[in-house]
Amino acid sequence: MYQTFRFVLLLVVLLPLASAVVVPLFGRAARRFAFLSALLHVGLTAAVVVATILALDVRSQSSNPREMGVVKFEPEYVPGDPGAGSTDTSTHRTRWTLLSLSDTPTDKPGPHVQFFIGVDGLNLWLIALCSLMMIPAILVSWEAVTDRPGTFYAWLFLLQTGAIGAFLSFDVILFYVFFELTLIPAFFLIGRWGTGSGRRDAARKFFLYTLAGSLLTLVGVIGVVLTNPLDDGQITFSLPNLMGQVQKGLQKAFTEHLAGKPEALIAKHTEQFWLFAAIMAGFMVKVPVWPFHTWLPAAYNEAPLGVTILLSSLLAKLGTFGILRFVLTLTPDAAISYGLPVVGTLAGIGIVYGALCAFGQRDIKLLIAYSSLSHLGFLVLGLFAFNTEGLSGATLHMVNHGVATGAMFALLAFFLDRYRTTDMRQFGGLIGRFPRFAFLSFVLCMASIGLPGLNNFVSEMLMLAGLFDARNPGVHRLGLAVVAVVGILLGAWYTLTMLQKVYFNPLREPPTTGPELAHDANHREVFVLGGLATICLLLGLFPQVVLAPMKADVAVLTVIGSGARDRVEGVPHKYDYPPINTVDPNVPVPKGMPAGGQPGGKGGGGGKGKGKGKGKGLGDE
Amino acid sequence: MYDPLGLAFTILGLLLGATVLTALLSGTVVLKRAAHWPLIIACGTSAVLAILLLLQVWKAGTVPRFVSDPITWFAAGKLTASVSLVVDPLSSIMLAMITFIATWIAIFSSGYMREGHRIDRGYVRYFAVMGLFVFSMCGLVLANNFLLLMGFWEGVGLCSYLLIGYYYDKPSAAAAARKAFLVTRLGDIGFLLGIFLLWKVGGWNTDLTALFDHIQKSPPDPTTLTTACLLLFCGAVGKSAQFPLYVWLPDAMEGPTPVSALIHAATMVTAGVYLIARCAPLFALVPDAQLVVAWIGGITAALAAFIAVAQTDLKRVLAYSTVSQLGYMFIALGTMGAVSPLFAVTAAMFHLFTHAFFKALLFLASGSVMHAMGNVIDMRRFGGLRRVMPVTHLTFLCGALALAGVPVLSGFWSKDMILEALQFGSAGAHANAGSFYALLLIALATAGLTAFYTFRAYFLTFWGETRVPEEAGHHAHESPSSMVFPLLVLAVGAIGVGVVAGPATHWFGDFLARTPSLRQAATIVGVAEPAPHFNWGIAGVSTLLALGGVGLAGLAYGNGGPERVPVAIEPVFTLSRNKLYVDEVYSALLVRPIEWLGAMARVFDQFLDALARLISAVPGFLGGLIRPIQNGLVQFYALAMALGLAVFLSFVVFLISR
Repeated sequence: MYQTFRFVLLLVVLLPLASAVVVPLFGRAARRFAFLSALLHVGLTAAVVVATILALDVRSQSSNPREMGVVKFEPEYVPGDPGAGSTDTSTHRTRWTLLSLSDTPTDKPGPHVQFFIGVDGLNLWLIALCSLMMIPAILVSWEAVTDRPGTFYAWLFLLQTGAIGAFLSFDVILFYVFFELTLIPAFFLIGRWGTGSGRRDAARKFFLYTLAGSLLTLVGVIGVVLTNPLDDGQITFSLPNLMGQVQKGLQKAFTEHLAGKPEALIAKHTEQFWLFAAIMAGFMVKVPVWPFHTWLPAAYNEAPLGVTILLSSLLAKLGTFGILRFVLTLTPDAAISYGLPVVGTLAGIGIVYGALCAFGQRDIKLLIAYSSLSHLGFLVLGLFAFNTEGLSGATLHMVNHGVATGAMFALLAFFLDRYRTTDMRQFGGLIGRFPRFAFLSFVLCMASIGLPGLNNFVSEMLMLAGLFDARNPGVHRLGLAVVAVVGILLGAWYTLTMLQKVYFNPLREPPTTGPELAHDANHREVFVLGGLATICLLLGLFPQVVLAPMKADVAVLTVIGSGARDRVEGVPHKYDYPPINTVDPNVPVPKGMPAGGQPGGKGGGGGKGKGKGKGKGLGDE
Repeated sequence: MYDPLGLAFTILGLLLGATVLTALLSGTVVLKRAAHWPLIIACGTSAVLAILLLLQVWKAGTVPRFVSDPITWFAAGKLTASVSLVVDPLSSIMLAMITFIATWIAIFSSGYMREGHRIDRGYVRYFAVMGLFVFSMCGLVLANNFLLLMGFWEGVGLCSYLLIGYYYDKPSAAAAARKAFLVTRLGDIGFLLGIFLLWKVGGWNTDLTALFDHIQKSPPDPTTLTTACLLLFCGAVGKSAQFPLYVWLPDAMEGPTPVSALIHAATMVTAGVYLIARCAPLFALVPDAQLVVAWIGGITAALAAFIAVAQTDLKRVLAYSTVSQLGYMFIALGTMGAVSPLFAVTAAMFHLFTHAFFKALLFLASGSVMHAMGNVIDMRRFGGLRRVMPVTHLTFLCGALALAGVPVLSGFWSKDMILEALQFGSAGAHANAGSFYALLLIALATAGLTAFYTFRAYFLTFWGETRVPEEAGHHAHESPSSMVFPLLVLAVGAIGVGVVAGPATHWFGDFLARTPSLRQAATIVGVAEPAPHFNWGIAGVSTLLALGGVGLAGLAYGNGGPERVPVAIEPVFTLSRNKLYVDEVYSALLVRPIEWLGAMARVFDQFLDALARLISAVPGFLGGLIRPIQNGLVQFYALAMALGLAVFLSFVVFLISR
């Protein structure tokens, strides 16, 4: 089973790449081929999702192996996994080395840049999102892209490859390569197929701005690699190893601090700060976090709609996912110290600011672009809450926001195909004119403003709960929670204003592109919008399907977070560690965080199961 | 099947099924005319089932509470939102009332929403959303989990939005729909924060029963709990249209009239009252919050009654009267603590119950008027309709008498109970007795005003010379039987339900007082429940006021319109007609600033963009500075090399010679 799904996972990355190579050969029929290929990809991804859910289910039944109170990610279905004994067992490592900096055998940890991909609870649903959102991206381009469609779809597939690769990577350099790989197709797609007059400028701005940020991220990542060598002194690029070493290093300094020698911890924290700042730079631009968002309106507005969908639903998530996967694990202490107070404040400003900007727009496309800034600010808050509720909510919100915002942009294809404009002043009374389309628009807009029963509500509630965690600095007065809720209100305000202008009021429509009158949504549009609306509904009604598999990996992060809180406050075990496993009461809870701690304390924390963990406060009682 | 929870789930399933079925009908042209049937059948069946459920709960013994096993909706960390229903006297009374009234309104709608043989364009849409509304409302009263309750809470908000905006091509309807959604959402901000604050201090519970138990056992510090309760109350203020968030309800009259009857009078707006009644064990702990509740109710009751006096739109008079009567209910809830919660909540819920009947009746009757008058509802344009529409006239009169609080009709009993609660509150020796005394006076004054404005509207519409607007054409006549019959049923309710459920049997109070959560609140407060008796003093005063109001209206408007306002009270009248300029104040204080901020943010964003461009121009600028050096002249390079070498050498020499 392992071998099969390792291969399938590899295919999930390689199929878009292969499609990108082949699709230009089809010329006029490129769109048909692209659609079929995307469908095939959805099928493959579905298989991976099912298999991973099964594998993660098994994992949540057993304890996470830890050494010295150190927790690590354990990717499943890693292609090239040497296995323990036979290849059909999993060691969550790979032998596939791309570049080795020393003579260490490549199946031993060492300075190897490896093709280390795998799937776990955190990236599972993002992969599904990447696969899924290709369908609307292709279908909204169906009529709109007539200029060299083969090349267009090739770039689109390459963009998808980059996103999927980045989400799957467990090697920091490999991640960076995929992360940057997305820039090139995005640059050409915006610059070459863009719809507005400012497309070249927008493409250049997007490229340079994000590149400038991500180069700093590279510096930060290399910094982490160099400052956290393995125990034998060799450097490593593997994320699980790196995060282990980071935790060990910090714990060691903390032990010294407790013994009365605070210098090492102070030095470590200074180092953490600089690394955090550098790594965050790229992600803050990519998300974007206010005030680094100025590339966004131009890029989203000028890009062809299919690309805007991918930009908003996938590429923006690269930033937030980067924070989740790399910032929280590699610079946990700085993430506690500066996450909510500094980045969180900026994100909070962004929530209100983005909403106000959205409110001031006349073009629906720009309105949605700015609303994205607002929603993603909330997501960043959820991430830096650094607790189970916030992290689960944020991870779920990445998927929810991807679907809902992608769907909102997909709605615009209807306008662009018929009227070639999305200026809301030119529309009115569309409910009577296009009842089918209006119905779908309402469902998607309601999803976007977080109506219960649809997807965004669930993740917003979880993130909000995360912000009520009084352990984090700067949230004692719940200011950020209030800002987040105000953001929800403002979101409703601008969305409903748009609905009022466009769908209510007496009928008004601009001249159509074709000779005949515009008609209601056709089968293709109903398929896209109806499908997305259905997904929104299902995610809103049965979110537990998505939340359950990520439990174990979120627990890894929360253990890191609790350790970091102790170190930042300078007091050991000030807070409870959340039980990593809430199913089996016999699983030990890592109490012994200082270096001398028992490796898990087999059977020790017997009573520390579900019941007790739930009853204990988040710390402010 | 007779299991109460099974019945509750069946009701929800029926209503949801009806909604989906109706929505599917929109695709089939033939069945479009039958779009009202699924809803009518589902509501009717639900009403029967709800009454069965009520009987089950009645027979259930000392602790009549059934809580369904929670099904996890979503959970992470300490937050668990589950689908869990609670059936107890409080929720079963609400359920029976909602489904019963909804049935008649659905029947009424089937007549109202069609013009002769022409089916309205949105006929199917109307009944689908109506079904969704009744489903959400039933879910709201049954929910035993705060987040689930929030879900249904927003669900009724959505349906209200869609139905207010039913005539989507009318700009005023579109604006009213958005306003309703946003103003209630403003309250919901508080509601959400309140839920999470309670979750935080209440042992990480979101299930209502568990949360109440936890808070009773280990109460958090009073400030936090007061804050949390006030935040919850924000939600109630928004939904139940209390001061300062009542502004959406009068505008909501843009929707079809049966919608106003069902949503904006009988059911949805009572959700806030229900919420506070449901959360009685929390509010009983915080007298300060209770005082706020009472005062907000008092202010709203008086303010809305004052505005109602001069309105010219019949539906708006009724809308403001709804706001005012809801204020009454909140006053009653606010006395909880000073008075036994059993009595306070019973007073509020009883008024909610009787109000649902007579207000639905009044709205439907005015809908019948509107139907006959060709959608004109301005009282200045018609009059003397009692000869044209005899049944509508009589039923409206029943509703008006009940609303005015004329003895023996249902409104009289419930209003007296609230006044009595206030009297008890002011008689006690606790700190807030003075406040309750003031509120008693306000409530009495409001009672007089209520009788006056109700009968002003009645006389202006039905008395005097018969006048019919030209929109009505020549067919100004009594409405079809599908509309008249529900009016008759509700009129019987408006007359009799008060005396039957109240003083005759004490059925309502006895049954409601068995609600476990109210008993819990009563244990917390520890004030004894006053024995049921007839309070002659209160009854006498309120009867006098009601008859006085009716008489005054009769004197002034007995001959029908047009209205002549004495010069002396002209300014007051203008103030009332212009709704105290509250909408203008909000527009200046809230709406304009946000719009302005939106415009400013747009400008500021360009500034940020310019800043980013400026930074990106720095490399180019620096390059431009040193570009002249690379001028391609070999002589210049040679000179620069020589000079550089000289400088370097002198530097070295200088270093060495030191």
